[in-house]
Amino acid sequence: MPSRTGSHSPAGFGKSLPERGLLLLMVLVFLEGSVLPLGAASSPDTSHQTNLGDHQGTHTGPNSTKKPFPVLAVEYDRVQIPFEISLWVLLASLMKLGFHLIPRLSSIVPESCLLIVVGLLVGGLIKLAGEEVPPVLDSRLFFLCLLPPIILDAGYFLPIRPFMENLGTILMFAVVGTLWNAFFIGGVLYGVAQIQPANPSDLHQLELLPCLLFGSIISAVDPVAVLAVFEEIHINELLHILVFGESLLNDAVTVVLYHLFEEYAGVGTVTLLDGVLGVISFFVVALGGVLVGAIYGILAAFTSRFTSHTRVIEPLFVFVYSYMAYLSAEIFHLSGIMALIACGAVMRPYVEANISHKSHTTIKYFLKMWSSVSETLIFIFLGVATVDGPHAWNWTFVTVTVILCLVARVIGVVGLTYVINKFRIVKLTTKDQFIIAYGGLRGAIAFSLGFLLNQDHFPMRKMFLTAIITVIFFTVFVQGMTIKPLVELLAVKKKQEAKRSINEEIHTQFLDHLLTGIEDICGHYGHHHWKDKLNRFNKKYVKKCLIAGERSKEPQLIAFYHKMEMKQAIELVESGGGVKLPSAMPSTVSMQNIQPKKPPPAKPVERVLPQLPKGREEEIRKILRSNLQRTRQRLRSYNRHTLVADPYEDGFSDLLIKKQRMVELEKKMSNYLTVPAAPPDSPTMCRARLASDPQAYSMKPVSDSVPTIQVDLASPQSPDSVNLLDEFRHAGQQQPEVEDQGLMMKPPSGPSGPNKPREADEARDQQKLMRCLSDPGPSADEDEDEPEKIKKKKSH
Amino acid sequence: MGSSSSNMDHIPDAQHLMQETGFSAAHLVRLYERFDFLDKDDRGELRLDDFEAVSELAMNPIGDRIIRAFFSPGRETVDFPSFVRILAHFRPTDTNRTRNGRNGAQPEPANSRTNKLKFAFQLYDQDRDGKISREELLQVLRAMLEMQVTEEQLQSIAERAIQEADLDLDDTISFDEFKKSLEKVDIEHKMSIRFLE
Repeated sequence: MPSRTGSHSPAGFGKSLPERGLLLLMVLVFLEGSVLPLGAASSPDTSHQTNLGDHQGTHTGPNSTKKPFPVLAVEYDRVQIPFEISLWVLLASLMKLGFHLIPRLSSIVPESCLLIVVGLLVGGLIKLAGEEVPPVLDSRLFFLCLLPPIILDAGYFLPIRPFMENLGTILMFAVVGTLWNAFFIGGVLYGVAQIQPANPSDLHQLELLPCLLFGSIISAVDPVAVLAVFEEIHINELLHILVFGESLLNDAVTVVLYHLFEEYAGVGTVTLLDGVLGVISFFVVALGGVLVGAIYGILAAFTSRFTSHTRVIEPLFVFVYSYMAYLSAEIFHLSGIMALIACGAVMRPYVEANISHKSHTTIKYFLKMWSSVSETLIFIFLGVATVDGPHAWNWTFVTVTVILCLVARVIGVVGLTYVINKFRIVKLTTKDQFIIAYGGLRGAIAFSLGFLLNQDHFPMRKMFLTAIITVIFFTVFVQGMTIKPLVELLAVKKKQEAKRSINEEIHTQFLDHLLTGIEDICGHYGHHHWKDKLNRFNKKYVKKCLIAGERSKEPQLIAFYHKMEMKQAIELVESGGGVKLPSAMPSTVSMQNIQPKKPPPAKPVERVLPQLPKGREEEIRKILRSNLQRTRQRLRSYNRHTLVADPYEDGFSDLLIKKQRMVELEKKMSNYLTVPAAPPDSPTMCRARLASDPQAYSMKPVSDSVPTIQVDLASPQSPDSVNLLDEFRHAGQQQPEVEDQGLMMKPPSGPSGPNKPREADEARDQQKLMRCLSDPGPSADEDEDEPEKIKKKKSH
Repeated sequence: MGSSSSNMDHIPDAQHLMQETGFSAAHLVRLYERFDFLDKDDRGELRLDDFEAVSELAMNPIGDRIIRAFFSPGRETVDFPSFVRILAHFRPTDTNRTRNGRNGAQPEPANSRTNKLKFAFQLYDQDRDGKISREELLQVLRAMLEMQVTEEQLQSIAERAIQEADLDLDDTISFDEFKKSLEKVDIEHKMSIRFLE
C-alpha cells in the first residue's frame, strides 16, 4: 500500500487516507464477525422464546430475592433482528466507501468481485467463531427485498427509445437464447452423467428432468451481475441495452421453465401436452406480467396528477405502486421483473410531467441508493452463503457445467446473430457478438432459484448449488475482471457522454415526421407509422387523463426546452456565476451582482447587448423592490405541509409572474422595464442559507446601487400564490399576442419595435439569473405609491 | 404479384435505375406498383393531387414539404425515375460497400449518410440557398408544434437552436453545421426504411 508519510508511523495521524480506510474496514469486518455470532448465540431465531425469557425476567422480580435496580441492562434480544439487518447494511455501505478510497483497486477489480470476497471473509469469520452462519441468502429475502429495488431502478430509468428499437433482437436473445441454453446444458449434462464410467458415481442418479431444471436455472443471464459489471465499463448504448434488456426479459422464460420442470420432476415425465401448456404459460407469464405492471403504472400516473398539494409524498407513490406491481405479479406466478419494468417505464413520462423537481430528484436518489445497497448486499451475501454451503463437490459435474455454459452461450449468440442480422438495419458485428457472449454473466438469481429447490425432490440439490456457485464465481471473477481490458483491446465503441442538444431534439422529431411521410407514400406500414399512431393516441387521450393541468398540452419539444433552460440556469448558479458565462448574459447585471467586489468582466463574445440607461434602471428597481417585498411579508410559518419554496421551481414561477405583472404595469406606465437580478451574495451562499434556514431571508441591507429582488416564500397553498400561478397558466397560454409577455421565453432579437429587443433580451437573461439566484435582502426604502398601483392591478 | 419480367418491361430504363439507385429488381417492381397505384389517372407520372390523395400525409406536419421534395424545381410532375431516386435516399446503407477500395471514382450512392442528411437539409432549406435561416427554422418549428405554443416560445427555441449549432456565427445553419449537430444520431438507422432493403 503506497503511503506518503510512511506506513508504520507510531502516531495514527501520519497515515494516508486509503490506509485509514483499510484499517477501518478491517475493524468493521471483525466487529461484524463478532457481533453476529453473538446475536446467533444469545437467542435462537424463535421469537417466542425471547418473549418467554422476558416474561420470566419480569416475573421473577417480586418472588425471589430483591436485586438492586439495574442501572445499566443489556437486552439484545429485543432488537436483534433489526440490529443485525442494520449492521449488514452498514457493512455493505462501508465496504462500498472503502473500495473507492483505495486508489487503484476499483479500476482493476470490479466492485462485485471485491464484495464477494468480503462476504467470504465475513462468512469465514463467523464460521471460525464457531457459530451458525445466518441463512442470509434466503430466497424470500432475496426475491422480496433485495431484488426489487435494483429492477425498479433499472426499469424506471430504462432508455425507452433504444430499447424499443432493438426489441426484436432483445426478445430473440432473451427467449430463444435462454431456451437454447437451458436445453443444451441440461441435455448434455444428462448425457455426460449417463456415460460416466462405472465407478458408482453419484451422477448416475441424475435424471433428465432435474438436469433440465438445472439447465434452466443456470442459463439465465442475471441483471444484477450485468448491471454491476457493465456499469463500470461504459460500453456503447446499443450493446448495453442488448445485454441488459436480455437479462431482464429472460425472467419470463426462467420462471416458466423453472416451474414446469419443478412440477414434473417429481413425476418424472413431461408429455407433449405439458410442453404445449408450457408455451402457453410462457405467454401468459410474460404478457400478464407486463399487463399487471402497466396497470399499476397507469394508476401511479393517475395518482400523481393530484399530488400538487402534497408534494412531500410524491416519491412514495412511485415506490409503493411499483412494489405492489411486483408483489401482485408474484402472487400469480407471473414474471415480477417484467411487471416492475413495465410499471416503471409506463408511469415515468406522466409522473415526471406531474411531480415537482424536488420529488424527481428524490426519486432518483432513493432508487439509486436502494439499488446500490441491494446490489452490495447481494454480493456480500453470495460470499457468505458460499462459506455456509452446503456443498457437494463433484469435479465432473462442475467443470462440465462451467464449460458448457460458455460454449452454449457462444453458440447461441453466434447462431442467433446470424438470423437476426437478416432483419436488422444496423448489423451486429463480430465484436458486438463477442461482447454480448462474454457479457452473459450469471448471478444471485440463479443461486436463489437453486436454493428454493426442495431437498426431497431433488437429492442432488447440494451438487447443483455448488455448481451454480462455481459458475457464478467464474463469470463474475474471470469474465467480470477481464471484460474491461478486452473492451479496451477490441476498441469497442464506448458510451457517448454528451447530453442531448436542442438541435438533436428538433431534427430527430423532424426526421420522425419525414420518415412517417415517406412510409405513407410507399404504402408501407412500418415502424414509424405505428410509432406515429401511438404518439397521436397518447397525445389525444392518454396525456389528458394522466397529466395534471395544462402540462398535458405541452408538446414534447417545449418540455425538453424548459428542462434545458432549467438545467442551464442551475449550472450557472453552481458554477458560482464565474467569469465564463454561457451565451447571452448581459454584463451590466450579472457580474456586478454576483461578485460585487470584482469589476465586471468583459462582455461575452457571442451576443453583445445594449445597456440600459441608469435612470431607467433605478425606476425599475424601485418598482420591483416594493412590489416583491410586500408579498414576502405574508408567509412565515414553516411546517412539513408547507414546503419551502424551491427557487428553482416554485419561487421561480412566482418571480416570473411578478415580473409579468411588473411588465404589464410598465406597459401601462409606458416605461421600459427590465428586471435586473440581484443577489448580493454569491449564489452558493444563498443556497446554503436557503437550505439551512427557510425563514431567514433577512439579509444585510444592500447598498442602493445593487438592485434586489426577494423570493416569495409562498407555499403552494397560499391563496395569493395560487392565484398567481393560475394567472400565470392563463397568461402563458393566451393567444400569442406579440405584446404578451410570455414569461418563459422572450426573443432576444424580437421583430417588433425598437424597445422590444433590449427589454426582451434583458428580461430573458434576467429570468435565467432570477431562476437560479434566490436571495436578495430587503432594502431600506420602499415606495408607498407603487404598492397601490400593484394592488389595483391585482384586483383584476 | 405477377411475373416480374413482364412488369419490368413497363419500367423505363430499369437496368440503369437499378444500378444508379441500388434497388433490386424485386424492389423496383414493388415501387412501380406503388407508383401505379398512386397515379390515379394512369398518366405515367404523378402530380400534386396524386400525392395529396394519400390521406396520412395530410396529418403530417411537414407533409407538404415532403411532397414538394419529390418535384424537381420548376417541374409539375414526377416521373418514375425521379420517384425512385428520391426514395433511394431511404435505402439502408450497405456498410460493406463503402469500405472496399471505392475511391472517389464513383459518386456516393444516394443512401450514404451524407446524402441522406442532404435530403433532410433540403427539406428545411426551402429557398435552396444552402443555409437554414432563422426564418426557415421558425417555419419548420411552427409546422411541427402546430399552434400549441406562443410565438415567443418559438422564437426562443429557434434562437437557442441556432446558437447551439451556428459555429461560424453567421446566424444561419449551413449544411456542415447541420451535419455536425447530428453527429451523435444514428442517421443510417433512423433514415432507412426496411421495405426498401
